[in-house]
Amino acid sequence: MSAPRSAPARGGSAIARLAAAIRPVAALILFAVVIAIVLALVLLTLGASPVEVFADLWRGAFGDWLALTDTLVKSTPLIFTGLAVAVAFQGALWNIGAEGQLLIGALAAGAIGPALGGWPHGAAIVAMLAAGAGGGALWGAIAGGLRARREVNEVISTIMLNFVAAQVLSFAVHGPLMEASGAFPASAPIAAAATFDVYLAPSRLNFGMLLAAGLAVACYLGLFHTAAGFQLRALGRNRRASAFFGIPIARMTIGTLALAGAIAGVGGAVQVSAITHRLYETLSPGWGYEAIAVALVARLNPLAIVPAAVLFGALDNGSQAMQRAAGVSPELVYVIQALVILTLLAFDASATGALRAAILGAPAAGPDDPGAPPAALPPAAPIATRDA
Amino acid sequence: MLEARGITRRFARTLALDGVDFHARAGEIHALVGENGAGKSTLIKIFAGRLKPDAGRVTIAGEPLAAGSANRARAAGVAAVYQSPMLFERMTWEENLALAGFGDGTGARDPRAAAARAAALARDLGFVLPPAGATLERRSVADRVRLEIIRALGADPRVLILDEPTGLLAPAELAAFLAMLRRLRGAGRAVVIVTHKLAEAIAVADRITVLRRGRRVAECRAAATDAAELAHLMLGDLASAQRAAPVADARIEGQAVADPGTTDPRCAAPVLTVEALTLDDGARRLLDSIGFTLTAGEIAGVAGVDGNGQAELIEVLAGMRTPGAGRIVMGRADDDASSGGAARSALRSAGGLAVIAQNRDSDGLILDMTLWENILLARPVRTRFTRRGWLQRSRAAAFCGELLERFQIRTATGPAGLAGALSGGNRQRLAVARAMAGAPRVIVAHDIGRGLDLRAAEAVRQMLREFAAAGGAVMLISGDLDELLELCGRLYVLSGGRLIETAAGDRDPARLGLLMAGAAS
Amino acid sequence: MLEAFLSSAIAMAAPILLAALGELIVEQGGVVNIGIEGAMLCGAFFGLTATWFSGSLALGLAAAIGAAVALNALFALVVVNLAVNQVVAGTAIDMLALGLTGICYRRIFGVTGRALTITPMRPLALGPLARIPIVGPALFDQNGLVYLAFVLVPIVGALIWRTRFGLELRAAGERPEAADALGLAVYRLRWQALLMAGVLSGLAGAYLTLAYANTFVEGMSAGRGYVALSVVIVGRWRAWGVAAASLLFGAAMALQFGLQAFGTAVPYQLFLALPYALTIVMLAIVGGQAQSPSALGAPYARL
Repeated sequence: MSAPRSAPARGGSAIARLAAAIRPVAALILFAVVIAIVLALVLLTLGASPVEVFADLWRGAFGDWLALTDTLVKSTPLIFTGLAVAVAFQGALWNIGAEGQLLIGALAAGAIGPALGGWPHGAAIVAMLAAGAGGGALWGAIAGGLRARREVNEVISTIMLNFVAAQVLSFAVHGPLMEASGAFPASAPIAAAATFDVYLAPSRLNFGMLLAAGLAVACYLGLFHTAAGFQLRALGRNRRASAFFGIPIARMTIGTLALAGAIAGVGGAVQVSAITHRLYETLSPGWGYEAIAVALVARLNPLAIVPAAVLFGALDNGSQAMQRAAGVSPELVYVIQALVILTLLAFDASATGALRAAILGAPAAGPDDPGAPPAALPPAAPIATRDA
Repeated sequence: MLEARGITRRFARTLALDGVDFHARAGEIHALVGENGAGKSTLIKIFAGRLKPDAGRVTIAGEPLAAGSANRARAAGVAAVYQSPMLFERMTWEENLALAGFGDGTGARDPRAAAARAAALARDLGFVLPPAGATLERRSVADRVRLEIIRALGADPRVLILDEPTGLLAPAELAAFLAMLRRLRGAGRAVVIVTHKLAEAIAVADRITVLRRGRRVAECRAAATDAAELAHLMLGDLASAQRAAPVADARIEGQAVADPGTTDPRCAAPVLTVEALTLDDGARRLLDSIGFTLTAGEIAGVAGVDGNGQAELIEVLAGMRTPGAGRIVMGRADDDASSGGAARSALRSAGGLAVIAQNRDSDGLILDMTLWENILLARPVRTRFTRRGWLQRSRAAAFCGELLERFQIRTATGPAGLAGALSGGNRQRLAVARAMAGAPRVIVAHDIGRGLDLRAAEAVRQMLREFAAAGGAVMLISGDLDELLELCGRLYVLSGGRLIETAAGDRDPARLGLLMAGAAS
Repeated sequence: MLEAFLSSAIAMAAPILLAALGELIVEQGGVVNIGIEGAMLCGAFFGLTATWFSGSLALGLAAAIGAAVALNALFALVVVNLAVNQVVAGTAIDMLALGLTGICYRRIFGVTGRALTITPMRPLALGPLARIPIVGPALFDQNGLVYLAFVLVPIVGALIWRTRFGLELRAAGERPEAADALGLAVYRLRWQALLMAGVLSGLAGAYLTLAYANTFVEGMSAGRGYVALSVVIVGRWRAWGVAAASLLFGAAMALQFGLQAFGTAVPYQLFLALPYALTIVMLAIVGGQAQSPSALGAPYARL
């Protein structure tokens, strides 16, 4: 967890401060290396040559200008969903529902999009984003409310809501929102006014990426520099103590999941506005779930979400090239994401504490310190904890 | 019977035990005393097989004990009863005993056999067992301790180890308990009691071993020593020993203790008024029409055994729970017409009431966060360092540094260190410092001295005395009569959810003990 | 009409029930296995593949069980021995299963999707009982795995509440530190529970491909594993409660097909969404988790 480390180091030398700042980056680089090793192993077992495949991957992700910009474009939704996951996880709210929240946000935006023809460009964009935020927030708030009022485990409720969201979207594009010709299940195209401008055509770079990065900074500031963010992090680390000190748990639960939903929903709106320009069923290739891996690699730090998302975006982009070249199927990315998560979890585990301390350096130990640095995830409290 | 030589054990960088020898003979009660952090708990965990020593040997009745295995320790005849009984809440008490291997001795874990055997033992001991098939969830702490003791005795142990056993028993049960210990010793066993209550140790034990900072500094016969000398051995310097030698082990000696002499409560201004506070949980009445007034400059005490409403009262005062009825008002009773939930939010926003919870590690501090972040948990402090929603981190950290200075909390890493790295005593000091940092008018603390060594406990008491002298009001909820008699003026007793005010000047520990145990006043 | 509906309801309840019984055992031991969805999926795929290659249903069942157990073993390694966050690990397991089955499916059967059908398991009619009007076919003319599922209900119940294994397992789920202190092998108990659950999830998955639909589609478990998780909660962690809740969801899933016959007025997505929405509603109604093992979901690392 980088919060304590980013607190001003009192009285330390410049070198000590530099070392403390570099440590999270070093951790990130280390994880990238781990991912690469894991990928190589997987490829070897599939009978493909890791070197060739990496080469294809690299070319696919960064090989030329178009590939590079496409990587950034593919990373953008991962930043949004990654933030949605990370912010909630900081409060020990296990938001597995970024997928559904993104879809509903996209749906809301795609629904009003076609009607924004006469609007000024700026206002249309704002309307799209607001619709996305609203839809996603609603979806998140449902799970939040269920948790706060009825103690419904948010893991299950958010997963269920993902499935429901997919059906709602399907219904919409097959029915009420279906485009005029009725030839395929997609919505009418959104108005030109509501479309993001493209920079540097033929690349698909657009404002969405900047928005995402800006949101990441905002989330970081929110989490670590505001009283509300502090309360959320406290809630994630010790629920009982938070209750004792009057932190409004129910409100924070609903508010946080709504916020996370809103962020994911904006991501959905951005996708519609900038890339797809209309709705269809297969809008998301699983960004909401991939976001979990992104959030873990970023160790729940919003600033680190951006490079982590780019990493996974590169993987997604490159894997298409990889598929064409080496015949490795696209489902491989799921396997990779899963292995990344498991490896990171294992790395954080208390059983591997010594290994971790050796690599990352052990922090100053007090008399009672068991010697392990704090893990990336908030402690998983028993599911049946009652909030007094 | 139980002999240990050269026991050494480290935890990361701390040397918890350094070449400790220990010898408890058959047929004797042996007390193990020492400050918190001296290594007592570690040593008995090693005896019970829950920890492995880094060096040294333990033998039971001459046979070496295989280290680090609870099973082997049990098989060798070592039974341990811990301070916080480790029982399974949502399972029945029969299942709990069965799991502990209690039964017909064949090792089969059978709840029915366990129940039968428990009934027999309980008859012998004069204990009352819970109703058949009852889960542990709703049982009182005293019930649980009794079950733990029965469990331990069921294995017919050669060595019985009790870790701070008397803390959780009501004074009335104490005498019976000590008598039982003497009976056990008569059966040729070794009984080892870990305690920090020196007078109890002297009263009941045959021999005493003193640990200080992981080393054995003395082993002597109880008859040959006194509390002052033991304190000196425990602490190592005479001055603090004299200061800390307990004013009262009055429960044992049966003498009344003088009033510390704070201002007569009835003359000063009321700071906190509570009326008819009631809390129900389904059919159970947890708090029964509780009412009291705290005045400026007073330190009031609420004596009682845990499980009689203490935790619930604290939770209501902290605003965690809403009472079914009643009012909490800062100031006089007529200052505020709100009640129930409104009272709760009024309290929170007024910020005049600071609560220090019993279990500081789970309810008071966030061990994973830094010290300055922990300070911010207290709402008045947080409000002070928040401008329009933004946290002023460096100012908060600086303030934390000042607090550490003022309250002499020693840390290696300052405000940016983690709370988990502090020792128990320092954590409690931090909790008290935080409570005072919000400039409250009232502090309510539950078990404030628990688990603290003499030095830290005295430091905390001093902090409270100064707070009261400056005009604040303190309410201490505790099961430790010694602590209460030393610090408090007015005394209440909380028993069965009811708050009973004791007569002014009535400081007879025996009478108070009876009230705590629920006898009619 | 009603006959078909009842028959369908019980048939659809069966895989959920099997998986849920496995999860019940695991949760009584204190572990939450979100990866149950992945285990079912693996069971479904590898069971079908084995049958397709070998022509033997028995081999298919064995392969299904083997695959699910292997996946659960990986989960156990990470969650029990390494004591990591169970929710995130379980989600990763689901992703892993999705990816693995997808890759293998393409590898073996190609993108063209060679007709991957097999001869499914035949239902086992229990003689004259099957001819009782209305309930006969529903109760007595079902696939063997369905009977197994319901027969297992009292067996699993007895396992948990009346055996020594069950007692120790529940202790491990209630307070693993205390259980450890008493000398119970918490790690081994949880491993055993997860392996048992693997067998049951494998059978559940096998039912999907070998008995119900005689083919495989990517992601075919379609959230049934998550429904099984909810069923354990709604069933208040008791075997008969789990059975009742499974039937409820089975009925909801059966409605999909029943009501579609009523015409296209109601969109089919509603029916597809119904089980998931129902899950949420049931959880909301049932509310708190006060009857679960106290340490459910908390990673436990032996000191």
